[in-house]
Amino acid sequence: MWILLPVAVMSIPLPILVGVGALVGFLSGMFGVSGGFLLTPVLMMIGIPPTVAAASDSCQIVAGSSSGAAAHCRLGNVDVKLGLVLLLGGLAGAGVGVRIIKILRAMGSADFVITVTYVIVLGAIGSYMFFESLQNLRRGALVPKSHRGSAWQGLLSRLPFQIDFPRYQVRHSVFVPFVLCGIVGILAAIMGVGGGFIMVPMMVYLLRMPMHKAVGTELFQILFTSAGVTFLQATTNHTVDLMLALLLAAGSTIGAQIGTRVGRLLRGDQLKILLASIVLAVMIKMAVGLLMTPTLQITPARGH
Amino acid sequence: MTYFMRLARNSDINNCHGGHSILRTSINVRVLALQFLALALFAQAGAAVEPAKAVITPSTVQLGTFYGGAKLHIAGIAGAGSQVIVVVRGSSGAEVFNKVGRVGPIWVNTGKVTISAAPTLLLIFSSAPVSTCLNPAAIDQYQLDLATLKKHMQIETKAPDRDRVANDFLVLKAHQGTYRVTSGSVQLGAPEQGGLPYTLDFEMPRSATPGKYRVSVLGCRNGEVADKSDLDLRVVEVGFPALVARLARERASLYGIMCVVIAMVAGFGIDFISSRLFKRKVAAH
Repeated sequence: MWILLPVAVMSIPLPILVGVGALVGFLSGMFGVSGGFLLTPVLMMIGIPPTVAAASDSCQIVAGSSSGAAAHCRLGNVDVKLGLVLLLGGLAGAGVGVRIIKILRAMGSADFVITVTYVIVLGAIGSYMFFESLQNLRRGALVPKSHRGSAWQGLLSRLPFQIDFPRYQVRHSVFVPFVLCGIVGILAAIMGVGGGFIMVPMMVYLLRMPMHKAVGTELFQILFTSAGVTFLQATTNHTVDLMLALLLAAGSTIGAQIGTRVGRLLRGDQLKILLASIVLAVMIKMAVGLLMTPTLQITPARGH
Repeated sequence: MTYFMRLARNSDINNCHGGHSILRTSINVRVLALQFLALALFAQAGAAVEPAKAVITPSTVQLGTFYGGAKLHIAGIAGAGSQVIVVVRGSSGAEVFNKVGRVGPIWVNTGKVTISAAPTLLLIFSSAPVSTCLNPAAIDQYQLDLATLKKHMQIETKAPDRDRVANDFLVLKAHQGTYRVTSGSVQLGAPEQGGLPYTLDFEMPRSATPGKYRVSVLGCRNGEVADKSDLDLRVVEVGFPALVARLARERASLYGIMCVVIAMVAGFGIDFISSRLFKRKVAAH
């Protein structure tokens, strides 16, 4: 059965779309990430124009993060005060990111920038996760790195407008989460991702937040950031395909349920090294695409 | 052909009525002579414009939610001894492409290429190879092969390799399924009194975008186009895809809000169902 994507103006077999959603949902259920950073490249591989893939992925993340945020809210893992600071930074960053995409599209470089950003970010995150997990597996125990007393922490404590976040027992300048989330917002708009795979490590390692609470607050913030990105992409670039987003969300819901159960069978570092390998494989596939001589030297400038 | 049949029928009627008087016979002969004269003049002046009667079914392709291509059928009657060529042609507006070039070690978009005077879609079906049906001048006039199309297309680019761009354009279109030349696909029937019946079954490419398409049926004799018939084919978005596409283009703010609200409702709905299922499982334990 085929399905017509009204904004991409192309027909794709329905099982492929739901299958892609289910595969990414499976991975996100298994590894505890939103999966957006994998979904956009996979959509590009099956022929969806990058600008439509990135924008529709943001819409799909709204569905996923609202479900996750509601669940974490019931468990008390959401700090609304920090979430709002992160949200302001994320929205500012998303606004900048959408403008950047608009300028790049006018220059004909949007697809290239999306691909290169993916290669760099996936390469950095994948390598970091891979080697950290490998070290932990060799040591035989998970030993989180401590940043207490480091020059970075000293710098953070000297910044103005320090605010207490009592739920996490941490104190930060309001600028720190704002700027960090602004950077993630720009990446979210350019890459069409929620940014969880960048934001959670930042919150744990740089803001010293407990892992579960970081995930809950990050989902709360991502819900609004993705909603903002979706709205801006729809009004500025006209590239959000609602049909595509809903089918992916349907598939990912089913996949996440299966992935969560499979994930319980593996150890934390085994999971991380597996995820890192997938991230690096996607990165290598995209990098090869940039370096290999293309068969054709013109590509369609698609999307509304 | 209808004209021939009417003429024969008139002649039969006249014969049946007898026409015993010399005067009546004389009038009939004059009428017949005038009719033959008119027919001869008509045939001389309008050999190339007499339509090769054709019908396309359906004449509108609807891009609905589950659209995965559409099967179309064309049937008609061409002049006796003809070969038949059917051309499905999209509009010839300008299309913009990204030009990929090498910058250092990587391949990037280095600019835009605008190609005009080339149809968005070109499907050529024929009963025999086009080169055997028509002479080169006629092929060029009707742009019935990719070489003549390439000759007529206009390319706006700063890139020096225009020939490479033209070739890549044709390969890209063929890859997308929007440019196709298929000989032997038009089936010719046994000649009848009224001419040569023909049929064609083909699939409209899935990548065909909404718009108007022109279907031309050419009856070819002696290397020339002897008769030609033009049909309209429309491709329209209908139902949910049409609504979504129209909202996305014309009511972008409303569409943006709608996307966010629907996604949120879907997410909270999934959470609600999951939490209920989870509670039920706990209760069962």
